[in-house]
Amino acid sequence: MTPYQQIWTIARLELGRVFFSKRSFWVYILAIFPSIIFLGHALEANLKKRNWGGDRVTAAELLDKVQSGMTDEQVLALAGKPVSDTTRKRRVRRNDEDPEAEKQPEVRRYVMYFDGKRRVDLRFEDGKLVSRNARELMNFEDDRRVYATMFQFFYLRLGIFFGCLGIFINLFRGEMLDRSLHFWFLAPVKREVLLLGKYLAGLIAAAFIFGTGALLSFLSMVLPHDPNEVATYWQTIGPEHAFWYVAAAALGCVGYGSVFLAAGLLLRNPILPAIVMLIWESINGFLPDVMQKLSVLHYLQSLCPVPVPLPNDMPAVLKMLLAPAAPSSVPVAVLGLLAVTALVLFAAMQSVKRLEINYGTE
Amino acid sequence: MSAPEIVFDNVSKFYGEVLGVNRVDLHIPPGITSLVGPNGSGKTTLMNLMTGLIHPNSGVIQVRGLSPYAPEKLMRILGYATQYDAGPRGATGFEFVHTGLVLFGFPKAECERRAWQAIERLGLTAAAKRKVAGYSKGMRQRIRLAQAIAHDPEVLILDEPLNGLDPLVRAETIALFRDYGANGRHVILSSHVLQEVDVFSDQVILISNGMIVAEGQIKSVREEIHEHPSQFLLHCRDASRVASLLFAEPHISEIKLAPEGAGLLVLTRNREAFAAALERIALSGIDIDGVIPTDENVDALYEYLIGGGK
Amino acid sequence: MAVYRRGYQRYDGALTSHFARLMVMPRFSWERILSRRFVVILLVVSLFWPLLCAGFIYLSNHSELWQGFGGGIKKFLAINGNFFSIFMNVQSTFALILASVAGPDLVAPDLANNALPLYFSRPLTRWDYILSRMIVLLGILSLVTIVPGLLLFGMQASIAGGDWFANNWFLGTGIFIGFTLYIAMVSLVAMASSAYVKWRVVAGALVLAFFFLLAGAAEMVNSIFRVDWASALNPTYAINAVWKGLLDVEIPEDKPGAWECATVILGLSGGLLALLARKLRAVEVVK
Repeated sequence: MTPYQQIWTIARLELGRVFFSKRSFWVYILAIFPSIIFLGHALEANLKKRNWGGDRVTAAELLDKVQSGMTDEQVLALAGKPVSDTTRKRRVRRNDEDPEAEKQPEVRRYVMYFDGKRRVDLRFEDGKLVSRNARELMNFEDDRRVYATMFQFFYLRLGIFFGCLGIFINLFRGEMLDRSLHFWFLAPVKREVLLLGKYLAGLIAAAFIFGTGALLSFLSMVLPHDPNEVATYWQTIGPEHAFWYVAAAALGCVGYGSVFLAAGLLLRNPILPAIVMLIWESINGFLPDVMQKLSVLHYLQSLCPVPVPLPNDMPAVLKMLLAPAAPSSVPVAVLGLLAVTALVLFAAMQSVKRLEINYGTE
Repeated sequence: MSAPEIVFDNVSKFYGEVLGVNRVDLHIPPGITSLVGPNGSGKTTLMNLMTGLIHPNSGVIQVRGLSPYAPEKLMRILGYATQYDAGPRGATGFEFVHTGLVLFGFPKAECERRAWQAIERLGLTAAAKRKVAGYSKGMRQRIRLAQAIAHDPEVLILDEPLNGLDPLVRAETIALFRDYGANGRHVILSSHVLQEVDVFSDQVILISNGMIVAEGQIKSVREEIHEHPSQFLLHCRDASRVASLLFAEPHISEIKLAPEGAGLLVLTRNREAFAAALERIALSGIDIDGVIPTDENVDALYEYLIGGGK
Repeated sequence: MAVYRRGYQRYDGALTSHFARLMVMPRFSWERILSRRFVVILLVVSLFWPLLCAGFIYLSNHSELWQGFGGGIKKFLAINGNFFSIFMNVQSTFALILASVAGPDLVAPDLANNALPLYFSRPLTRWDYILSRMIVLLGILSLVTIVPGLLLFGMQASIAGGDWFANNWFLGTGIFIGFTLYIAMVSLVAMASSAYVKWRVVAGALVLAFFFLLAGAAEMVNSIFRVDWASALNPTYAINAVWKGLLDVEIPEDKPGAWECATVILGLSGGLLALLARKLRAVEVVK
């Protein structure tokens, strides 16, 4: 049996455990959660269209005439009966020493119209229109931006991070805690081969779960939109976007997987490096360019096809401090990530050769 | 062809500041060898060192010419039934044995044949499809044995293999050891009960506090019983006076107070002289309520050696 | 006569109270947890922020020190619900890290080593066991939450005088109730995580994942549905909203309020308790 065959045999034996372990159940939830939410969003938009349709629809031209400073009575007279209308009075607070509080409006009124495609939210303060916000119930471009944000901030930063933490730490540290690692060490295989076999099993499982999850959520974001828009998208940049989202998810598993596998081997409590890494990856955007390139997230973000806009409600100071490094080119990102992975796996191999079975200390 | 001995050359192992084994020099020939010692004496450490599950801080180990640092070679000739109670999570008895064999590279049909053969040999055929986690203690012991012998190893290492086995299975298991040991293979097993293993062991290694205190054929070790001091428990009221009188005797090597004021524990190198001395003391008017020999069996040697040669 | 009637005599002397028996486990656990260097370091580090806040209170109550500054400084230095809300917010992060380190140590080893039969063969119920484990965390986490919080409140009350106390006593009760709720929630998460995975290390990760992932998931629901109500599903936001309610700090109108968030926390705690009750069994049957 060659080492390659042994690696594959070990991976095959481990795959079942990684895929079907009860403890991995939450990883599946993580992976498919965005798809469920996007499908829910499409369903909700359709339901709203149906509920707000018919005689509750207000002509778009009328709603476009609504201007800031108009009174609520004027707006209602112009646009007719809204879909929803709520009024709130200012609460008297127990201990309001703030002089600014005196300037707060007494009454706020929230009115919402629907023009068949867009919902228009109007906010009145003491009878005057102070804010008008119109948005389509289903806007493809918006949704693609939301998907890009979700992918980078939830999927890569949290979902794949914690999913890989769960899967890859189990491979060695979990077996130590289960007191079953000796079973593998008593097999006629080199420790390095065992490590690669286990890593391969974790990688196949994680990449499959999160790659499929990324693809499913992407499809559930794209498909409910207008068929013409979707067709155009698929004929142009759609397949490329889909490919790079799946590739980034899979490469995320390659990078994070190696780090957590090594952490599970090198340290008795891999939670501390996990916390450090989570903080490191989170503050990444605030670091100098060179430092940013020392994170898995930087390379993964470089692969993402749609850049993420900074949130509107982000404090100005933070916006000022945030200076994302220029994204690396695709070959550099992929090779950089693979190089980091190879380095981490090499360190893990050195460690596994020295690893001793000493369950009593776990 | 590999050298037929298991060699420990000045091997020491420490767990931090705790001693595992210290400066062990051993040459274990083929046959059944029992490692005997109390709990925590270093038996499992020796076995784990042989199998590469732990590594020595100093010294060299060779198992039939193979290093424990090369599991890809060593594990082909070695089977180890550990004391660890766990196998792969959720595995059935058959899967537990079969999975191990797959890693040897046997074809699928051969893996299955060997797995069933080993399971049948240990009498677990009916339970083979049940999860190991649901097995009783004895069944787990047997499935571990099955896994260790499934690839027909030259060296079989068994950590407390008779624990939890009922008398019938125990007899069958001992027969299995004999069968293995008779074919020029190594069978190394551990126990903390010397009597349990002395009937079928070719060699015995007595270990205490991480040191080898005796090794050799069981027959020669048995002979030491007659050469080592005998211990007696004396029940008497005036223990200090009896002690002072006994100390004057040249054959007495140690006297100490028995726990809970039960009398005196006396160690003598000459039973006859000791009996004569007791008679003299009794005739002098000192009450001696009873004399009980405390080391009349094979365990006496064990106690003598393991207890530090008292 | 049956042998036991002659030979066996049941103990009929005085017994310690149920509570005293319950406190046996926490006593040992506290000793063990506090012997860990990392826990002690974390405890020390987590006291820096209260110290800073104490300095802030001192500064706020000595107007002569900042007389030359503009009017904005008065608003900035005001000691009110907002101040304590920020204090609680920061301090709860330390409590969370502490819970993820110390919490799984309480239940996971018992499950991994089959120690539950040992506990349940004593006059202890499953709920006693859960309660005693929660008391352990309450003791440890209150060192970085309730204790410094109330000390700060007491410091402000003693410097600012009786009038301030009469007008702001609810801040003290808010700190106490708010932190107690938080500790209860974090303890349940820590115990449920360790009962679910049974591994101390992975359970620690799961505690962190629970808070981070739910925050991420809530934010995701908000941005995909273009709503704000999902913030209530973020435990950190939810507990913050409850604190703001208790400290009388205004919550933006479009965000979920204190009552909605309190309901979510209650539901979440119920779910975690149900998980604990399901997992904490003396005997695990393997089919």
